[in-house]
Amino acid sequence: MIASLFHYYNYWMFIGLMMIGFYAMMAKRNLIKKIIGMNIFQSAIILFFISTSVKGKGASVPILRDAHETHEAATLNIMQYTNPLPHVLMLTAIVVMVATLGVALAVAILIHRRYGTLDENEISLRR
Amino acid sequence: MILTFDFILILFLFISAIASITIKDLLSAVIILGAYSFFMCLLWAQMAAVDVAFTEASVSAGIGTVLFIGAVSKTERRSKD
Amino acid sequence: MKPLYLITTVIVGALLIYGTLDMPRWGDPHSPASTHVSPYYLQHSLVHTATPNVVTAVLADYRGFDTLGETTVIFTAGMACILLLRRRRKG
Repeated sequence: MIASLFHYYNYWMFIGLMMIGFYAMMAKRNLIKKIIGMNIFQSAIILFFISTSVKGKGASVPILRDAHETHEAATLNIMQYTNPLPHVLMLTAIVVMVATLGVALAVAILIHRRYGTLDENEISLRR
Repeated sequence: MILTFDFILILFLFISAIASITIKDLLSAVIILGAYSFFMCLLWAQMAAVDVAFTEASVSAGIGTVLFIGAVSKTERRSKD
Repeated sequence: MKPLYLITTVIVGALLIYGTLDMPRWGDPHSPASTHVSPYYLQHSLVHTATPNVVTAVLADYRGFDTLGETTVIFTAGMACILLLRRRRKG
C-alpha cells in the first residue's frame, strides 16, 4: 500500500504548489501578489507536463549519441532517451507565460496610474 | 535521478513559494520568486529536460524578474497582505 | 472570507489527488505519453533533419508553424504593452 502510493509523490508535489498559487490568486488583495500567484500556478502546471516525460532509470537527455556515424533507425534504443515531445510543448508554454506576465504587469501599472493604489478594496471604493 | 536531491529541491521550492506570497515587502517577494524559478530550473535539469531548464533560467528567472522589478518601481513597494 | 478561500483550495486539491490515482506510475517507460509518437521522432529525426538534438529538431523542423505562431503571440504581447503604457497627449 505504502509502496504503491510512493509512485505518485511527484504528482502530489505539483498539486501542492498549484494550491499555493491558487490560494494567492484568490485571497491576496494586492494585484502584484495575484500576479505572483499566477506565475507559481503556471510553473506548477509546466512541472506536471515535464514529469510525464521521465522514463525511469537509464534514460538521459534526448541528444543522440554517435551522431556523426551513420546509424539506422532500427539500431537506436528508445529506452536510453527521455520523451522529447513534452519538452517541446513546454518550451512554447514558458515563453507564452512570460508574454502574459508582461501584459498583466502593464495593466497593473495602468491601474496604479489611474487610481493611485494597487489594493482591490480601495479600487472598488474609489470607483 | 537522485531521490534525496529531488526531495531537498522540492523542500526549497515549497519554502520559497510560501515565503514569496506571505512577505509584505513587494520587492523581496519578487526576488524570492526569482529564487523559486531557479529551483524549478534545477528540478527540470535533474529530470533530464535540459532545453526547458535553459529556457526557464533565461526567460522566466531573468526577463520575468526584470519585468516584475520594473513594475514594482513604477508603482508602490509595500502591500497590506 | 479567508476560510472560504482556504476551503475551496483544499477541495480542489483533494479532487486533483483523487484524479492522480488513475494515472500511470511516475517514470513508467510504457506510459501512453511516451509510446505513440515520440519513438517516431527519436528514430527518424537524425535521418530527416541531420540534427543530434531531438528537441530542437522537433521544435524547428517538424513543428515549425507552431513556433511561428508562438512568435506571433510574443509580437502581439509586445504591441499590447507598448499601446497600454504609452503616454497620451492631451488636446
